[in-house]
Formats: sequence, structure tokens, C-alpha cells
Amino acid sequence: MNASPIVAVTGLHRGENPQPGSAVIRSLRRVYPELRIIGLVYDSLESGLFSEEDAPDAAFTMSYPGAGVDAFWQRLDAIREIERFDVLIPCLDAEMGPLVDAPEKLRERGIHACLPTAASFKCRDKSKLAELCERTHCRTPQTVAVSDVNALHQAAASLGGNVFVKGRFYEAQHALTPAAREAAYWHMLEQWGAPVLVQENVQGEEYNVIGLGDGRGHMLGSCSIRKMLRTASGKGFGGMVVRDPQLDAIAQSLIAELRWNGPFELEFVKSEGPKGEYCLIEINPRFPAWCDFPSTLNCNLPAAALEQALGWQPREPLRHASPGKFFIRHAIDMTGDIRDLAALTTNGQFFRQPREIIPHPASSRSL
Amino acid sequence: MKLAPLSTLIRHHGQPHELPPATAASCLAPHAVAATFDFHTVTWQADGFGFDSTSGEFFTASPTALVVMQSLSEGMTRQQILDRLTTRFEVSHSTAERDLESFLAEIVHLGLTTESN
Repeated sequence: MNASPIVAVTGLHRGENPQPGSAVIRSLRRVYPELRIIGLVYDSLESGLFSEEDAPDAAFTMSYPGAGVDAFWQRLDAIREIERFDVLIPCLDAEMGPLVDAPEKLRERGIHACLPTAASFKCRDKSKLAELCERTHCRTPQTVAVSDVNALHQAAASLGGNVFVKGRFYEAQHALTPAAREAAYWHMLEQWGAPVLVQENVQGEEYNVIGLGDGRGHMLGSCSIRKMLRTASGKGFGGMVVRDPQLDAIAQSLIAELRWNGPFELEFVKSEGPKGEYCLIEINPRFPAWCDFPSTLNCNLPAAALEQALGWQPREPLRHASPGKFFIRHAIDMTGDIRDLAALTTNGQFFRQPREIIPHPASSRSL
Repeated sequence: MKLAPLSTLIRHHGQPHELPPATAASCLAPHAVAATFDFHTVTWQADGFGFDSTSGEFFTASPTALVVMQSLSEGMTRQQILDRLTTRFEVSHSTAERDLESFLAEIVHLGLTTESN
């Protein structure tokens, strides 16, 4: 291992559907400002590459998940010939399968990671949530996995017609009519493969819990929010910290049942009315895009995940964020340079150079 | 001081994010409400802004609604709350009683208290 660990992070695009990688980098640098971080990207236009504050020191293009598992490991090995990173923090759902299925491949390469076991990873799969929730006495919407159009319509009819059609890894579309369901089905199949999930529509406020499991049934830290703002596609664009003992208890029982190791995000809808109950929508097996927000409130989960992966003693206990603190996402434009783009596109790698400072003519004038 | 509509308790979800409608908070007598007080899981400020730390929801209350919330937090009975309202505001007992009943039903519906309270 390097004297000072090198960390690889994926998922650096913060577009309309923001990925978590840049937020992970920002959180790591809050604690370890000198940490060398490399980005593993699938597109040379991943926006996090061009950020001033949370860009990696170097970036390498990865093979697409569709190229297969062998191509994934070969590319990882090729990158490590150039940058021998010690820790991998995967931030995309599609990457998780090959990693949790073959932890020995990480171990034999000397790569540290904070990952769940294959068994607990499979137990939180969207198609298995009902079984998990039955064991933990947690409510969850009825969900049916379908692989053809007839099954889609049958499932929707059995769930009352008002359903969400969801991709295996990402995305959900609210569909009320057969035509809308079918369009959503083909979109999800094309984007994420089979099966496609048909889920009962539970109406209410959305709550998310981010946390870090220790693999023995405990949470090393967590932060719960109510989604305040949502994009047209339902992505959270703002969230308010809440502290509800009932929500904490549900989260704890799910993580204990899974004996979850590593980062997670639990997504709930609280049904409307004075006796509204939390209903588990899904469990994401990685950090969400808002993971840097709790870091500003003394709950730096990405830094804790790094320490956990390396077997380091935690710097300090993670604190509970105070209810009433909230985040609002703010989209800005960043400046890129064609040379960086060229390096990534032609060589599959680029190394961050100090930015050119273009003086404004007015700055040399005396006032 | 006239009795503002008791039903002026507005729940804000944060989306859509328009500014809340103006309340009559500026008419609130300075002595009427403490700087902050808690009722159920909501902390209320003297300007009528309430935040529920368990649900993350926030509310704005009219001055009269705020007086009722504070009275409830002090454990007052309905009769005591009615007395307070008719003392502080120019309102008949029957009007205050009708508005109070309607308001109490509203806060039960919002989950800010239970029937038993």
C-alpha cells in the first residue's frame, strides 16, 4: 500500500440526475485535504472532472458495464499500472454487482473497499424488498418484477392501475394508463435490462436515511432528511434534517437484519394522514448524491467509510445532524479546457494541472 | 385586538417553494407569546413560524392560532383557552368557541396533536 493511500472514486457526473462521486470527494477532502484521489469515469464529460473544488487529481475512463466483468477488471488493472490506488469507493449501482460478487478479486489486488456481502446485497434488491420488510415488520409497497408486456399489465391491474414502473437499478416513472406503462416499460428495459419493476403508488412525503453499516448489524452514523424539493424525475434537490425515533428504529432494524457493511441510503414514503406510516421504497447500496451535506454537520460518512475500509480507527464519533438544517442544490457552470477533454478522449486519462489564471484588465488598475 | 381567523395555520412542504402567504403576525401583542415554545413535536417562534423536527415540516400560524398553540402547550383546558381568547381579542364567546373547535379539528388532521389532547 502507498504510504499515503490513493483513493479511486466513480460516479462524477452531477447533471440532472446527479451521481455521488463528487460529493464523496468533497467530504474526503474536508478531513484529508492532501489525499490523492483519482476519478474513474465512463464519459469524458462527467461534470465533476471540471470542478474547482471537488475534482479528482487524475481521471481514467472505465469500460462500460455492458462490456462485461472481465473487461472491468482488465481496465482496473491497466489503470493501477499507472496509478496504484489502494481504496475504491464505488458510487454507481451498476458497479456494485461485480464487486460484491468477487471480493477476493479486490483483496488479491490489495484494493480496500467498504462493501456489503453478496448475501446482504441481494436481500436489498428491489425485487426482494417484500421479504426483507416482512422479517423486519416494515411496510413496503407491493412490487412485482416483470419481463414481458402481458405480465406488466397484469401486475399493474393487480395493483390498482396507479403504479410506478421502475428500472432495475435507477429511474421510476409514474404511469396511470396502459400506454404510459408500456412506454415506461420499454424505456426501463432498454436502459437497465430485465426485470422491470411495477410498484404500488404510495402517496405521501419522502424521507431518506443515509448511513454507514459496520457489517455486524450496527450503524456507525446516519442522517435522515425529508425531501423538500424534487426535480421532474423525482430526484431530491433539497432536504431538511429530521430526527424521528420511529424512523431511526426502522432504519436500525433493516441494517441489523442485513448486517450491512458500508454506505447505504434508505428511501421511504410516509403515507398521508395523522397515522401515516413509513413505507420502504428502496435501499441504495452506496452513498447518495447528497452525502456531503451531513459532512458539513459533523457527520462525515465518506471519511468514516474510508477509515473503515483501511481499518483505521475513526477520528471521532459521527454526530447526529441537527433537525432544521437543510440543503438546497445549486447548479453552476464550470469551465473546462479542450486539452483535458482531448487527453481523456484519446488516452483515457488526464492529470489535473493547476488552473490558468486569466487576469482581468481591471485587476491591474489602481483604485 | 380583533380575532384573526383561527384556521390560519398553513403547512409548508417546501415544494412548491412559493413564499408563504402573509400572516397577521405583526398584530401580535408583544406579551402574547414567549420567544419560543414547544407543543407536541413542533417548536414555535413568536413570529408564528413552527418547525416539526420529526417530520421536517414547517408551518406558519396566525397570531390567534399561535395563542391557542401556546395555551395547549401549557396544558390549558378548552374553557381556559376560550377565556384567554375572549380576554385578549375582541370576539364573542360563541364565535371564539366555534372557531376553536374547528381549529382543534384541523390540528388533529395535520397530526400536530392527537384526539386525546
